[in-house]
Amino acid sequence: MFTSSAKLLLATLLCVECATASAADLYVICNSRVPLSAADVRDLFLGEKQFAGAVKLVPVDNSAAQIAFLDKVLKMNAAKYSTTWTKKSFRDGINPPLIAGSDAEALADVRRTPGACSYVTTPTPTDVVVVSRL
Amino acid sequence: MGTTKHPRANRGRSWVGALLVAGLGHSPVTHAATNDSDRIAVLEQKLDQSLQLIHQLSARVHDLEAQAAHGAPPEADKRSGTAAAAQTGAAAAIAPDTAQRLAKVEQTVNQMAASAGQHAEEGLATHGFADVGIGNHNAEFSKYQGADVGELDFFLTPRLGSRTRALFELNFEVGSDGTVGVDLERAQIGYQFADSATVWLGRFHTPYGYYNTAFHHGQQIATSLRRPRFIDFEDHGGIMPAHTVGAWLTGSERVGDQRVTYDVYIGNSQRITGGALDMNNAGNTHGSTIVGGNLGLLLSGTLDGLKVGVDAFQTRIGDEDQSPSYVTQVRSFGTYAAYDTDNWEDIAEFHVFSNQDLTGHTGTHHSDAGFVQIGYRAGRYTPYARYERGAFQQSDHFFAAQTNGSSYYREALGLRFDVDLVSALKLELAETRLTDRVIGSYDEALLQYAIRF
Repeated sequence: MFTSSAKLLLATLLCVECATASAADLYVICNSRVPLSAADVRDLFLGEKQFAGAVKLVPVDNSAAQIAFLDKVLKMNAAKYSTTWTKKSFRDGINPPLIAGSDAEALADVRRTPGACSYVTTPTPTDVVVVSRL
Repeated sequence: MGTTKHPRANRGRSWVGALLVAGLGHSPVTHAATNDSDRIAVLEQKLDQSLQLIHQLSARVHDLEAQAAHGAPPEADKRSGTAAAAQTGAAAAIAPDTAQRLAKVEQTVNQMAASAGQHAEEGLATHGFADVGIGNHNAEFSKYQGADVGELDFFLTPRLGSRTRALFELNFEVGSDGTVGVDLERAQIGYQFADSATVWLGRFHTPYGYYNTAFHHGQQIATSLRRPRFIDFEDHGGIMPAHTVGAWLTGSERVGDQRVTYDVYIGNSQRITGGALDMNNAGNTHGSTIVGGNLGLLLSGTLDGLKVGVDAFQTRIGDEDQSPSYVTQVRSFGTYAAYDTDNWEDIAEFHVFSNQDLTGHTGTHHSDAGFVQIGYRAGRYTPYARYERGAFQQSDHFFAAQTNGSSYYREALGLRFDVDLVSALKLELAETRLTDRVIGSYDEALLQYAIRF
């Protein structure tokens, strides 16, 4: 029989485990008409890949999950990412990704914009394509 | 051969040193940046809460719409059990009206969101850079000392569509005579056929080596306080044609885990006038061209961040300060390596010149120039060191005709402090030694405050 303290401890551990599992999940999603592979994600968010077939790609950063995305996918910190895009924009005349403020906003952008891709921390509905799960 | 110190070097050093120390007392700046960060964090939190609320309302709208369509109570009401069942009649009476109003609200929100998205896609993206400085010499024109205005650089990248691209750079800068001039540094319009091929027409940065296309007029994005002297811009004394007016094919392609980059270009050959290179914006009168290319390899895996490459160009450049014009066929061959990671920014670039005298028939002259720069990003501080050298044959009319065409060495130690993501303070101590046309040297203590916006 569990005492109340033991129950509290167990509940806390379960919550921590749930939170850890949730934080570890990152879904890269694209508009349903975007033929993109997981291997292209890094190039997409660094401006090296701008087309998938005839579709013009529109990367959308999700500020709510950006730190995890930069760490897992681009292997760089936020300052380096910002500097990289400033240089890229200044050199090649292309603009950095648009920025969504949350999973919901990122999802709405991806649904609405042909060619759009972003990343979210929650499982996504079926009307967008999950390019990779990290 | 003796070495003489620049006469102004010692005179201005003491008060400039005091100003540099004062300038680096950045505690108030840091504090201000921290306050901004806190405010931004609070605003982001509020924005997230608002978006969450919008999301919940949107879900509620869908719920009510579904109820109106099927005549069924919403999920929340289902869960409320008997009480909900007792109120079903009244809810059914007001639901159509509520659903209609909510539908209108949702439509308005959607229109606003679509409109905002459209503006973001089609707007005119404008960026800018600016810098000011102080030192015992002007960083670009060493005859001046004291405080100086560097430049105000406006950078436009209009969103024109999926494949058409444009890039304009309008620069207000102080020239060698101390007055402010305006220069259309870049004016490029291009068409992107694919990721691997974009064609640009107009005036662009000549894609030789690494530095000339990686860093441009905005000093905030460059780690160091200024460009290496020999690849400085033409009107700042650079001895290589930094700009070309013509056509440029560029792109990159992934090959396995690596990425290959390339540039091929052709344009108006440059000329020398007033002791400096000019890129012949309007075209030239003799039809000669500059032709060149650059091939690079971006490595991955353990060498991620490393780019190596080679480049070459050939052009015929006339010295129009002479009558008749004195023409040199300039050939340049270069190689470079750049290692750019979260912590390191190391760049090395080397060029050799094989220039043939087409007027005086004095033969072919060989010269070379290069630099090595090492920088380490330690949080907001980036100390860096640079060594550069230019060994230019003064019997080569191409170099002899240019004001800054003399051979030199320069050693520099610097420290960059990122006040925040968009502004940086840079301190550089340097010694420049001129080794042939004029024998001498001068020390510099320079401070620069550079921003982008």
